[in-house]
Amino acid sequence: MTQLALVIDLNVCVGCHACVTSCKEWNTSGWAGPLTDQRPYDADPTGVFFNRVQTYEAGVFPNTETYHFPKSCLHCEDPPCVPVCPTGASYKREDNGVVLVDYDKCIGCKYCSWACPYGVREFDEQQKVMKKCTLCIDRITDMSLPESERKPACVLACPTRARIYGDIHDPDSDVSVAIREQGGYPLQPEWGTKPSNHYLPRRKTRIQIHEDELVRVDNPLKKEALPTLPEAGETLDDVAW
Amino acid sequence: MSKMYYRELYCGTPVRYWAGMALLGTIVAIALGAAFYMEHNGHWVTGMSNQIVWGLPHVFAIFLIVAASGALNVASIGSVFGGPMYKPLGRFSSLLAIGLLAGGLVVLLLDLGRPDRLIIAMTYYNFKSIFAWNIILYSGFFAIVGLYLWAMMDRKANRYYRPIGFAAFFWRLALTTGTGSIFGFLVAREAYDAAIMAPMFIIMSFSYGLAFFIITLIAAYMWGDRELGDLRLARLKNLLGVFVGAVLYFALVFNLTNLYVTQHHGVESFILLNGGVYTAMFWIGQVLIGGVIPLFLIYSPAFDKARWAIAAASMMVLIGGFFQIYVIVIGGQAFPMSVFPGKEVLESSFYDGTVGAYAPSLPEMLLGIGGIAIAMTMVAVGARMFKVFPESLEDPGESA
Repeated sequence: MTQLALVIDLNVCVGCHACVTSCKEWNTSGWAGPLTDQRPYDADPTGVFFNRVQTYEAGVFPNTETYHFPKSCLHCEDPPCVPVCPTGASYKREDNGVVLVDYDKCIGCKYCSWACPYGVREFDEQQKVMKKCTLCIDRITDMSLPESERKPACVLACPTRARIYGDIHDPDSDVSVAIREQGGYPLQPEWGTKPSNHYLPRRKTRIQIHEDELVRVDNPLKKEALPTLPEAGETLDDVAW
Repeated sequence: MSKMYYRELYCGTPVRYWAGMALLGTIVAIALGAAFYMEHNGHWVTGMSNQIVWGLPHVFAIFLIVAASGALNVASIGSVFGGPMYKPLGRFSSLLAIGLLAGGLVVLLLDLGRPDRLIIAMTYYNFKSIFAWNIILYSGFFAIVGLYLWAMMDRKANRYYRPIGFAAFFWRLALTTGTGSIFGFLVAREAYDAAIMAPMFIIMSFSYGLAFFIITLIAAYMWGDRELGDLRLARLKNLLGVFVGAVLYFALVFNLTNLYVTQHHGVESFILLNGGVYTAMFWIGQVLIGGVIPLFLIYSPAFDKARWAIAAASMMVLIGGFFQIYVIVIGGQAFPMSVFPGKEVLESSFYDGTVGAYAPSLPEMLLGIGGIAIAMTMVAVGARMFKVFPESLEDPGESA
């Protein structure tokens, strides 16, 4: 079975929110719209966003690091939001594994919101039904689009290519290779929900260099000697390099 | 023992009855207006958010639904457990149960995103969902308790009285198990996910239902100028004491179990120690007002047969019960979900890892209070239409 998903590289995500705005743009006017807002811009924003970038500071000062963490529906392989829905409005597509809500069957009881351990359900105040990321289902299944554009809006918009999209059940897909080779991990695997979306961790590239490796042992002409420092008293302006 | 006569509820003068109905009707009309206001403007005008998705109306609704199944207990004691003192109260017990459930369901329905889609909720069932099961349990409760009431009131149906009584008793247990399991089956939030939720809700229903029963019984007999003996009230009072103690015991076991599990220390300290309003509601509302003081009023020899003490104890059980449901429903949602286990989230623009803020709005409160008024209206209309209340409930021996 195909299981479409996103792989998000936290190492290159810069927190620019391009995925948030492109998601909002596409979905507001598309099948999933309207994503009604009350105060989308104020300090205390309220509105429907399928994708939210959260910024965290990790570590203890001064050894801190800033993480930008985009979070949307993880399209779990065993989604806890689906069995709890009283009318069956929450469902998982059998052909591609995308978890969706049938807006015509949702009664707005919000019980799915209780069941989702990742807190990604969003209630549309105008349509009064529960919504969430659709993985741009109206885009990725639109055969009239060229294949290169049959991707979620956020994937196409990401300037650093932090978002990779594909079938995680296909071992040769970009997403599977990224997960396999770059340590991709799901969010909270302990729930047993098998989230399809994965995250690639922050990575540090370090090599160990010893002091003697920086000095050439065979340096016959002494050409690589360090430049001598100017004598004390001179300022930087007096030096002509 | 003298023969028991039942009579429709007439309150001396018609003005007295209709003034009461007008008061209830006004409260219901305001509640419907509040529901329309929230429906028209969306849930923005409430205190609810994507983090606190169920608010004050749900607290009222769950409180009434839990109390409804408990209100039927008095009838069950009469028919299932064969208590002759309780048998004359069976009809009112069933009527009150139907009224409370209807009041609770109206609030629940009007607070849904799409109350207009009730027909979808009634025709599309996902049998894996405990919520769907509850829809069946609630509908079935009306049918079974309706039949039960009929079996009690119609002499020709008297032979069905015991089997239907048993069916109603087991159905009410199933119903409260279902209501408790709405929270018991919730894995995603730390405050829930406990098998004890179902039996705890059952014992809560015993307590709230009986408290509602005592209050409304005293009120109806005062309203209708009828005799209500001390003996039956004393029995009911003692039973309420047992139930109040049991609710405290279940709360103790529930919290002790959570305290034993390291993973749940966060949510426990939130509820018991540093949760602000939720901690206050737990200790002052649930434990003190809903438990300790009623137990004192019930068991202290100083208030042996004092009717005001029984009424006050019942009222405090209801207030404490309301706080208990508030802490369970809202407190459990306010405690943040652990999206990054082991990490402390210092700040998040999208509320992850932070305690959810919820301030109930006026329309939510009006809708909730309207639910109680709807329940009481149904009881008042039912008692006027059917022979529900015994003409006199004076103690055996007094009338002889």
